[in-house]
Amino acid sequence: MVFDKYESQRLRMGSILPQLIVNGLIAGSIYALVASGFSLVYYVIKFLHFAHGAVLTISAYLFFVFLNVLGMNFVLALLLAIILAIALGLLINFVVYKPLRKRKSSNVVLLIISLTLLSFFTSFALAVFGSSTKTILLAQQNIIFDFGAIRFTIIQLAAFLLAIFLFFALWFIMKKTKLGKSMRALADNKDVAQVVGINPEKVYTYTFIIASFLAAIAGIIIGLDQNVFPRLGFNFIVKGFISSVVGGISSVPGAIVGGFFIGLAENLGIWVLPSGFKSVISFTILFIFLLFRPQGILGGKKDGI
Amino acid sequence: MAFEYLINFWIFAFMYIILVVSLNLSMGFTGLINLGHLAFWGVGAYTSALLTLNGVPWYFAMLAAGIVAAFFGFILALPTSKIKGDYLAIVSLGLVFIMDSVVRNWTSLTRGALGLPGIPRITSSSINFLVFSFILAAVVYFFAYKLVSSKHGKIMQAVRDDETAAKVLGKNTQLYKIMSLVISTFMAGIAGSLFAHYITFIDPTIFSPDILIIVLSMLIVGGLASLNGAVFGAIIVLALSELPRIIIVVPALIGPIRDMTFALLVLIVLIYKPRGLFGKVDL
Repeated sequence: MVFDKYESQRLRMGSILPQLIVNGLIAGSIYALVASGFSLVYYVIKFLHFAHGAVLTISAYLFFVFLNVLGMNFVLALLLAIILAIALGLLINFVVYKPLRKRKSSNVVLLIISLTLLSFFTSFALAVFGSSTKTILLAQQNIIFDFGAIRFTIIQLAAFLLAIFLFFALWFIMKKTKLGKSMRALADNKDVAQVVGINPEKVYTYTFIIASFLAAIAGIIIGLDQNVFPRLGFNFIVKGFISSVVGGISSVPGAIVGGFFIGLAENLGIWVLPSGFKSVISFTILFIFLLFRPQGILGGKKDGI
Repeated sequence: MAFEYLINFWIFAFMYIILVVSLNLSMGFTGLINLGHLAFWGVGAYTSALLTLNGVPWYFAMLAAGIVAAFFGFILALPTSKIKGDYLAIVSLGLVFIMDSVVRNWTSLTRGALGLPGIPRITSSSINFLVFSFILAAVVYFFAYKLVSSKHGKIMQAVRDDETAAKVLGKNTQLYKIMSLVISTFMAGIAGSLFAHYITFIDPTIFSPDILIIVLSMLIVGGLASLNGAVFGAIIVLALSELPRIIIVVPALIGPIRDMTFALLVLIVLIYKPRGLFGKVDL
């Protein structure tokens, strides 16, 4: 698995613990970016939107095409990729999820549908772009901060700062804005929310816009930090999912905390285990949380699954 | 040539029938959303391959494949009293990732990504193998049929429809969930062993999520809680999956387009005909 192309090189450099912590924070930032949008959809609409991973993959490819194939400048490529990713998220919501919600399909149907959508877009990316990985070329990408014991790239720093910013931004949106209040009302009790005049479908549309925006940012960051490949969304949505459950699925900022927790656990874990066992570590943590603390790190007592 | 092709098709059809019938036992009849069926199939394939490569006769290896898979099924069944619905789906899906990581990294045993070549075939002629697969599929179908029409089968379905009511009536619902998963995963292990001894080579791609979508689409097209649905679903979806191979000329596109077809099929069936062809319950 292509998780970190600098990893082996770093591990050879002397004392590894500080670098493992940095690697954990970097992986954690990326998981947090993926988990935040996924968690928002779960919080508001109460289903596991695995097709979030499809938006990740497609936005990373779009950014690659705009920047490196069509030669657009960075800002234009970024904007277009984000807008099209939002369009894809909205399309999935309107064409697939909305009819199923109207029919009151069970969560399991929505879960399978979203996994199927993820598989569809993974195969689509494979058909259009082939199985080879694509490297996004950007001049600034290779700026590396080297402090001897630890080193990281500018992209990784950006991922970390974005994740920290998102923690506060999501907290602010959920607690202080009118949209956030409507989202919380719907999450709490859909019927009561409707009685007080909240239109669920309208709030769901905004939810998908925000979530797909977050997915596009995450997809592009992953594409820049690592590579773009068809399974990108699949690999990362699994980590995003684990992060949001561990952080507390009933708390949107919890997804960020969970992302850092899983990123650090995986990277400190490979101190003792081979790096291929990262997914064993994260799934074991998921399993332990589901059994003993289903409400996650930030969830309240009553918020368990 | 065409004859060989047909034999190959039906061997795969019988293997998929075993997989879909067994998945239907846990998911359709007992309502346990088990997305990890592939993990048990893969565990069965690896167990059987490793044993026969070390000189164990194939029939012992096949039985062991079922038993080892059922052991993991038992482990998955233990927390089902606490972990339900969506979350069981994810935990079971997680098993696939865990198995994939273990098989890829335990290289001294499994040779990792290189895979295990030279797994002995059970019979030298493919016609005999076809007959053998047919017999296995028939036994699995017959057993599943007997089970679901028995008293125990009725209780399994009661657990699916209303677990609390079944509990109130004094049924040990947890025991039935464990039984359902153990039987279902035992069969999946047997199917995995059959696959390994037919293809004679396995590698970690056996845990690829694409195969999960194939098996799910067979189950959903056929319909939940219907054994005939499982059989027809498997045959119809497998036949459809052969179409891209005939129509599309660019070899690199065949796989992705086939997988997109499966995905579309699941979407269309779940949106427009959620019970599939023969389904008796909603997902």
